[in-house]
Amino acid sequence: MKSFKIVISTLGGLLVLIIVAPLLRVLLAAAPSLLRTTVGDPEVISSILLTLRAALWATLSCIFLGVPLAYGLARWDFPGKTIVQGLIDLPVMIPHTAAGIALLMVYGREFLIGKMFAAVGITFAGTVAGISLAMAFVSLPFLVNAARDGFLAVDPRLERVARTLGASPWQTFFKVSLPLSWRSILSGAIMMWARGIAEFGAVVMLTYHPMVAPILIWERFENYGLKYAVPVTSILILLCLTIFSVLRWLATQKRDD
Amino acid sequence: MIERVLRLEDICLKLGDFHLRDIRLHVEPGTYLALLGSTGTGKTVLLETIAGVHTPNSGRIYIRGEDATRLAPEKRRLGIVYQDYALFPHLTVFDNIAFGLKLKGSPGRDIKKAVGGMAAFLEIEPLLERRPGRLSGGERQRVALARALVMEPYVLLLDEPLSALDRATRSRIKRELKRVHKELGVTIIHITHDVSEAFLLSDRLAVMKDGRILQEGAPDEMCRRPGSRSVAELTGIENLIEARVEKGRLVTSMGYADLRQPAAGMDDPPGRVYLTLPGWSIELFPAGSAREYIWQGTLTISDIRPGSGTGIVALTLRHEGGERLKTYLSRRELQAFSASLEPGMRVPVGLLAEGAYCVPHEAPR
Repeated sequence: MKSFKIVISTLGGLLVLIIVAPLLRVLLAAAPSLLRTTVGDPEVISSILLTLRAALWATLSCIFLGVPLAYGLARWDFPGKTIVQGLIDLPVMIPHTAAGIALLMVYGREFLIGKMFAAVGITFAGTVAGISLAMAFVSLPFLVNAARDGFLAVDPRLERVARTLGASPWQTFFKVSLPLSWRSILSGAIMMWARGIAEFGAVVMLTYHPMVAPILIWERFENYGLKYAVPVTSILILLCLTIFSVLRWLATQKRDD
Repeated sequence: MIERVLRLEDICLKLGDFHLRDIRLHVEPGTYLALLGSTGTGKTVLLETIAGVHTPNSGRIYIRGEDATRLAPEKRRLGIVYQDYALFPHLTVFDNIAFGLKLKGSPGRDIKKAVGGMAAFLEIEPLLERRPGRLSGGERQRVALARALVMEPYVLLLDEPLSALDRATRSRIKRELKRVHKELGVTIIHITHDVSEAFLLSDRLAVMKDGRILQEGAPDEMCRRPGSRSVAELTGIENLIEARVEKGRLVTSMGYADLRQPAAGMDDPPGRVYLTLPGWSIELFPAGSAREYIWQGTLTISDIRPGSGTGIVALTLRHEGGERLKTYLSRRELQAFSASLEPGMRVPVGLLAEGAYCVPHEAPR
């Protein structure tokens, strides 16, 4: 038993180290003076805020559209359900630059859907809407899958009882299904937001400017070298760690039941 | 004419590989109907079809005379209590019970009064502020009952409500159910696989197998005159002896038996039948007149097994032809015999005509 524990702990510990080492290295590598300057750099601040905002819009839009889809996938059997399920997971599997190209070819101004949106004043190339769209495309599986698992964990009999007690399908959804699965949905939304913030490939294809933080890091690295990319990276990592730790803590608070 | 509170007319439903077939059931107001059948026989699906969770492929459901076949569950006014109670874990006991009343838009004061009244009736007042996760099985059961009953349903549907409870709690909830039925006069359909539960609680019994209702009637009548071998087995008749009819008499491996009651399968000699004998119809050291028995002879005691804490002893008797019969005696009855009974002993036995009945060899379809 002892040797078993040692092997398991060593292997697991190694993986944790693989994740932690680069993050720690980046956080410790930034020169304090450069870090101070970067924190005060309006371009960095606006880029980070833009990233957080665009990812939030992407997440909120996908909650509106993705939660109903997740509920349908959890509760109903319909022809092509497996295909829909596969399609949901597809954005995780394809290269994100490819996803960006694909989005450009649908939502670009020269293409049909892009033209339709342009007609009502929404364009995606070079706009916050484009950034959010790219972020949403690549990160929605995290939300939809987590929400679906959350709904699956709700005993359908609770919904049936609610119906016999006089609840309409909508009332049942809002008073039983949603309150019992909101933690999973929130958890998925946090993951989606996080993944959206981190997105580079799809965003860069659709919208290089205004610059989101991952593109800014890339740009500083390309133009000024590692020394100037590190402070932006450190700030982004610290900010994300703080926000996600708080949100995760909120989402995993035990319910009193 | 009394309007039936619930009428199922030839309900058929295909759900995956499962079928409900030609379900016909009439339930009168105030009835306590037990739906008896083994696991996987379709009892819960039938209950959920009544509740409106599944829509039948054919047939009609009438609730208080109105066609409710396609009526949404929330408009049927039927209460359901599931085996694992299905209490809303995110709500307190009070909010669980008040759930339906709040949806109805009842004023807060009325809700408080109704919930309080029902909680007092079911003795769960001290639990009102708790969450379901902090309740015992019996408490959850009573909360689930209160939640359904507070809506004053036309029919209360109980899905194996006692099977997840320990023995002591089960006895308490049985008493509770009897009290609910008696004092509130609510119509109850209670599905169970437990024969003793069905007989103890119900005044009507329906036996189900393979998605069909095989027989429906008063429990005692079902036991005395089961319509088929399956019904006899499901209603707990342990002794089924294969027989054939010859010139109005039954020929069994134990010899001739003079059956006096007219029975299915008897009209068409030489029909193959099963002679059904409940445990109580097997009498050791028969002391009655010959007319009271359809068969008398000597059997060997092959096993004596005391029941756990019930004071009832199970006796297995064997005929030299190989037929085995099972009967039960109280310890007092056992002690009343002059000789002490033990395995291997040969004892005179009479099969009481009152309990004997014949069912067709094959269940009618």
